Amino acid sequence: MSDLDPVIHAQARLRITAALATLAPDESIEFPRLQELLGMTAGNLSTHLRKLEDADYVTVAKTHRGRTPVTYLELSTRGRRAFEDYTQALRGLLGEHP
Amino acid sequence: MDENTTTDSPLDPAGMLALVRRQQRDIGLQLGGAVPYILLAWGVSWTLGFLGLWSVDGLPTGLPLGAAVAVFVVLFVAAGGVSALLGIRRGRGIRSSPDSAFTGTVYGVTWSIGFVGLTAIGVALIQRGLGDLANLYFASVYVFFCGIMYIIAAAIWHAVPALVSGCWLVLVGATAPFFGYPGNYLVLAIAGGGAFLVMAVALLVYRAAGRRAHV
Repeated sequence: MSDLDPVIHAQARLRITAALATLAPDESIEFPRLQELLGMTAGNLSTHLRKLEDADYVTVAKTHRGRTPVTYLELSTRGRRAFEDYTQALRGLLGEHP
Repeated sequence: MDENTTTDSPLDPAGMLALVRRQQRDIGLQLGGAVPYILLAWGVSWTLGFLGLWSVDGLPTGLPLGAAVAVFVVLFVAAGGVSALLGIRRGRGIRSSPDSAFTGTVYGVTWSIGFVGLTAIGVALIQRGLGDLANLYFASVYVFFCGIMYIIAAAIWHAVPALVSGCWLVLVGATAPFFGYPGNYLVLAIAGGGAFLVMAVALLVYRAAGRRAHV
């Protein structure tokens, strides 16, 4: 268990990472849409996203649509790899073949 | 997802792996939830639209030609509208890279170019004396073209269901003229529209089964 990535090995961050991993590598998602898909509060999502961003697992891009600020989120290459490693480690622990 | 996600605490490995699968399935359903309904819309429009065209000469009390064509066009425009609306809703808040956007735009525009081009060829053939064979030409080339576009979509987005349905539509479009008029319309209604309906129902049943398994 100690080998499991502590950044992802928490329910909320695992859900965020798993959700972002379903998007294509060149796709990003607006914060409110991700919040809607996950059914999380904005504060909770922000808190966990910050931890993922600090680990360089999530890339945050801020832009504007007209005068409205828009925040796009995507899993970085590092984050995608970490997620794959994490799920592979879980399968290994459970004796499942990758 | 209704579990408490405010916690930082992990579950056991089996629980965490189940959480990943449940979450990804849930997102897949939310993003791709409209697909069966898009298939349903096309299934209904193809089945009823081609049945209407078949009825003109295939039934003793079929629709008048004008009415059958009008029904066909209205159903197709409606199905196109439903697809566009549900597609836009799916992509809400999701941004792709300029490369992907270019691919999507070219692919989308190719549908229009193809239909306009095939229509122009058909009109030219009618002017050169195609006559009643137009009944065989138009329906088949449109269905054949849809099949080709599905196959191209499968190649671009690695979608096996699109490959299977594309190959099926190519087969249906290419063989329908061999049944002659008005039998070709019946073939297109049953084997073309019917295929969309079967796919839609299969997808809904598959999802319902998956939902029960995850409760």
